[in-house]
Amino acid sequence: MTAPSDRPADFDTYWNAVQAELAKLPVNAELTHLPLQSNQHATVYAARFTGIGPYRLFAWFSVPVGEGPFATVYQLPNYGSVVHVPAYEVRQRYVVLALRHRGQRLSDQPYAAAYPGLLTDGIEDPAGYIYRGIVADCLRGMDFLLSRPEVDAQRIALAGNDLALITAALRPQASALHCAPGLLYNASALAPRTSAYPLEELNDYTRTYPVQTAQMARTLSYFNPLHFANRVRSDTLLVTGSAQDFFSPAILEPLAAGLGGPVTRYESAHSSYRDGVQQAEWLSTHFGYSTPILPAQWQV
Amino acid sequence: MPRPNPATYGTSVTKPADFDDFWANVEAQAARMPLNATLTPVPMRSTPAVEVFEVHYDSLDGVRIAGWYCLPRQRRQPLPAIVVYPGYISEPTLPKNLAAQGYAAFGAAPRGKLRSNGQFNPGYPGLLIHNILDSNTYGYRGFYVDAWRVIDFLSEQPEVNVNRIGVTGGSQGGALTLLAAAMRPQIAAAAAAAPYLAGMMDAAQLTHTTPYAEIVEYLRLYPEREPQVRETLAYFDCINFAGRIRCPIIVNIGLQDDVCPPETGYAVFEAIGSRDKKLYAYDGYGHDANAYAHGAVIDAFFREHLQNA
Repeated sequence: MTAPSDRPADFDTYWNAVQAELAKLPVNAELTHLPLQSNQHATVYAARFTGIGPYRLFAWFSVPVGEGPFATVYQLPNYGSVVHVPAYEVRQRYVVLALRHRGQRLSDQPYAAAYPGLLTDGIEDPAGYIYRGIVADCLRGMDFLLSRPEVDAQRIALAGNDLALITAALRPQASALHCAPGLLYNASALAPRTSAYPLEELNDYTRTYPVQTAQMARTLSYFNPLHFANRVRSDTLLVTGSAQDFFSPAILEPLAAGLGGPVTRYESAHSSYRDGVQQAEWLSTHFGYSTPILPAQWQV
Repeated sequence: MPRPNPATYGTSVTKPADFDDFWANVEAQAARMPLNATLTPVPMRSTPAVEVFEVHYDSLDGVRIAGWYCLPRQRRQPLPAIVVYPGYISEPTLPKNLAAQGYAAFGAAPRGKLRSNGQFNPGYPGLLIHNILDSNTYGYRGFYVDAWRVIDFLSEQPEVNVNRIGVTGGSQGGALTLLAAAMRPQIAAAAAAAPYLAGMMDAAQLTHTTPYAEIVEYLRLYPEREPQVRETLAYFDCINFAGRIRCPIIVNIGLQDDVCPPETGYAVFEAIGSRDKKLYAYDGYGHDANAYAHGAVIDAFFREHLQNA
């Protein structure tokens, strides 16, 4: 299920233009202390900064108590309107940024995303597709982090779905990437094989606007992680499903094989506990800690 | 140090003396308000096999609530029905897959969820501690009513067999499953996963993970308010509703759940009044409560109680 031929001829031009547009806008970060979420281990802020549009974005920004700079985890947003405050245990050790991209709650003025609906918003045109701005938001989060004195710029890990991988490709300062693809990877080719949302949104779209199917596929080709993979240089852990799952190791192997840096393949245990421990241990090892900090329920 | 056995932890939850009166009063207020339900076809989300409607109905305090309603196009009437309740941060389910299996399927969106947040929007985080010092205005008061009024909506639909309505969901959806089963005795079967909003004050002692972290954080800033918080939450704790449940019910929990600690899952299961109840406690699983494999158990449970009964 690879789609190597769908890489647009102007792929690099498209993304260079996005980055140039972003570079013209100052980050203009503003931090507001949040006493409710802060504790003896970490201080939490509401971070606001500017993405393309211009558009004002929200993120949770947590800094461990103590002397930095600190190893940093940048949590890229999943598909849904809410992004949680970073976990208590992660905040104890790392600077953590958890972005809410445009359309998600607290980044939803003036644009509030619909679920379902976000994935096909503006999909007729690569220049107007909502994910053009969303990817730029993710890059802007990295720009924010790189501007912060609390952040050890040599030790930044990205964690998330396809957006994390794209960010790693376009912001090579990240030293590690923990990625569980499942949104934009070969999306137009894979969607007809499922009825599960969010990919079902693409099926809803083509059923409603069949004449736009080719245009939808063209737009999505600019966002296919496969076309970003060789630009990723960071130490990567790629999470797949099991052999019988939709995002099986076989389906994702072209992506794994295309990554430009060292890659570890991890097959999900379908357990938030076991997968969570695995992620914590992997990050901990990458950053040189002997043990991860885990919730009490995960300690054996 | 090894963790104590979560099955024997118990609970500190106590039932207010006026618990039944409190909810009878809320129900009486809600009953004075007709549903005024509307169904709007959504052709874009419909398929050759399933019709999708966006539903709106009125609920407590005049708040207009949304939901997704899916019907199989080929249907033998009346249909069994399943309500899917959403988790704390998850988006309301659009349950086309259940409609394709022959159910009238409803994806609930209580107040504060997208499309139901025009009049009430405490945000996430925020809902769990919204007006937490006052049981009469606590955020979950209306939210609970929104959830069980879905059953009232389904009971008005001519295509639904009112004797074969099932409810299900995980986490907050698991809590709403228990609550609906407690407050709407016509429910025929319930499947709750990793139930939240049960043993809430205990959970705040056992975990730092969201959403219970909201209580932990609130009490760290305002420790003197702990008695009032405990008093309010007692009116809303699933453990205090569970004795009313009489329908067949299954509950699955994960023994390494850091979000809704298994101690609270055991406690609420113990309180369930049904004779026909079964707990699936999965070792090696967290807040997912082994959903990956347990989905087949739920499917078979609903087939038995809603389709083959």
